[in-house]
Amino acid sequence: MIIEILSTGSVSPNGVGKIGSPEKCPEISLVGSSATHPVALVDKNAPEILKWSKEPRLRRASPISYYLIEAANQALAPFPDLNRTRIGVVVAFFLGCVDYSVKFYRQITTDGRRYGSPILFPETVFNTPISHVVATLGIEGPVYSQIGDKSGWVTALRTAECWMKNGSADHVIVLGAEEFDPHVLDALHASRLLKKGLPIAEGAGAVLLSSKGNGSSVKLASAKDGYCFANRSEAIETAVACLSNAPQSAPILSTSNGWNANVENFTATGREWLFDKKLNCEAFTASAAWETIRGIQLIQELQLTSLVIPHWGITQQSGAIHLVR
Amino acid sequence: MSNPTSRVAITGYGCVTALGEDASSTWDALIEGKTARAPITEISIDGCRVREGAQARLPLLSGHTQKQLSRLSRASRLLIPAASEALAKASLLKSNGMCELIRLDTSIGTTACGMEMGEGFLRSVWNNQPRGRGSLLAHYQAQQQVGELHRHFGFTGSTTLIANACASGSNAIGHAADLIRCGMADIVLTGGYDALCELVFCGFDALLTLAPEACRPFDRGRNGLMLGEGAGFLVLEKESLARTRGVEIHGFVAGYGHTTDTGHLTLPNQDGTFVETAVRDALKNAELDVSQIGYINAHGTATPFNDSAEAKAYRRIFGNTPARLSSTKAALGHTLGAAGSIEAVLSLLALQTGKLPPQINLIDPEPDVEDMLVKMGEKADLDAVLSVNLGFGGSTAALALSRS
Repeated sequence: MIIEILSTGSVSPNGVGKIGSPEKCPEISLVGSSATHPVALVDKNAPEILKWSKEPRLRRASPISYYLIEAANQALAPFPDLNRTRIGVVVAFFLGCVDYSVKFYRQITTDGRRYGSPILFPETVFNTPISHVVATLGIEGPVYSQIGDKSGWVTALRTAECWMKNGSADHVIVLGAEEFDPHVLDALHASRLLKKGLPIAEGAGAVLLSSKGNGSSVKLASAKDGYCFANRSEAIETAVACLSNAPQSAPILSTSNGWNANVENFTATGREWLFDKKLNCEAFTASAAWETIRGIQLIQELQLTSLVIPHWGITQQSGAIHLVR
Repeated sequence: MSNPTSRVAITGYGCVTALGEDASSTWDALIEGKTARAPITEISIDGCRVREGAQARLPLLSGHTQKQLSRLSRASRLLIPAASEALAKASLLKSNGMCELIRLDTSIGTTACGMEMGEGFLRSVWNNQPRGRGSLLAHYQAQQQVGELHRHFGFTGSTTLIANACASGSNAIGHAADLIRCGMADIVLTGGYDALCELVFCGFDALLTLAPEACRPFDRGRNGLMLGEGAGFLVLEKESLARTRGVEIHGFVAGYGHTTDTGHLTLPNQDGTFVETAVRDALKNAELDVSQIGYINAHGTATPFNDSAEAKAYRRIFGNTPARLSSTKAALGHTLGAAGSIEAVLSLLALQTGKLPPQINLIDPEPDVEDMLVKMGEKADLDAVLSVNLGFGGSTAALALSRS
């Protein structure tokens, strides 16, 4: 089966419809220490984001829900006539609804256990944002929220492939999205996953996939995941295995953003690598979506026939996708 | 479904619940009409309106030091033994407890991951206690529980972690079957897990959805759910592979249907439309007629709105067929991300034994399903059964299991 990539959508600190972050980002303090780190945030007052907060169902929704809806809506916009009962949606999260989850837990630990907000609690659930997406956009196909590290994006693409192969959907929107909360910095610091100077970011990215031969020039040839690791040395071994199973003649888009820069050093031998300044921050599954979007753009800009995009996870696994033109 | 290469065989199953540390002890207690409801002691819930639920006893885990055990999340302490039981039944465990396969794909559902570790991390930040934060985080996220599964059994592979609220376990099993049917996997370890935790317990308490007394699914006087915890796993594989391996086939995942009720985040559509669609899709997928379904393990949370929506759907679908119905949540609690997988295991055991889990705590039955609810000691010769789950966000999933 041929899977075409029909369109994309994105929300990032660089703006709606854009990827990546500004060159200079504000420093934000960790919650539990005076240390600071650059953080790139989405402009929540952008009209394209604000408009969703006026929807009755979305008045109390978390920021991540707005990012997702806007990204999905952009991906769908060029194809208003698609049958929405045959569109599936799968989203990959690394952190999920971290903002409201922290707020709710803060409520019950400070105000008392019976004083948690019954309005806030349902918004902490992993699949709430995607429920808002399909309700708002009128989508009626299969819907999954999936969890994983950055490489969960590849697993989400595999789910889309499965749905199109078994006939559950003709088109699938695959999304990656994250929202920022300062506790994320403490978590990354405690896990030694903060790379000095690399902005932590938030936002969303979407690709609309089709099994119906709509004539798109870029196709998803393969999505391979499951190169799992338990520590950094295993991460290098699995990354080597991951790329050795990718087409050897295709150039590779560099996507390493932190400690996993070592991964690419070990796998670089004899391969053509593309480096891109737009991939300049870490927004986990949203970054993975932006990397795929940037890969699609590069294929078109550079007239490439083929491109491998690795998505290096930081706590779970490596994965890679192969795009062809 | 006649092509053996596309049929999805169940070759292993296992669970840990508040009723028992494995599938057989859970099943025996369930059939005897027991309930696991008791005061919650393992998590901090002082101050909550309701302080009872279905708390599991953690099975012993061999091969771990006391220090290693103390670092594992409660969720991992539930999921590893449940997976072990399933792998052993599927003849996939070596004598040293390691998996026979180096690569084994997984499809797993959860809603809360290792939440108590995340709670501990937040408290450590707020209380300025940096020591141990790294370890808490290393055992919090769902992919890390799967990593623990990988390390415990010595396999690796593609992992799909589905978080579709309380339908997650059913979705995970359905997705595993889909992966096999469309040729993306030959064999998959699939299931779901969730452990009791402060955040989720307080959340349901805040919603006033916890039953202050006995949990009474499909009773007109029902007043809420009983939270529980546990894990359930199945080993699914291509029928042809199972035949080649010469392992016992316990049943088949014959069909899967899933829908999303977009009307409200926590309130199911009251006419049961989305339940009906999911069930009919599962039956169509399985090429089964309604009349072939002998037992339905309903979601049956015992919240007023859930049970009435389900009851309306089942009455419309099953009409006057002799299908029997019960919710096992009155006995072992609502295990959230584990619910669909544990209930699939129990549905499979009903299929195998012909014994039906009774609807306990029933005083004044919901009229729509009054004649369908299973009484103590009922037996039936079953060809196919259904397991149905609903969740926040409108996630709805139905699994059809068949004997042949």
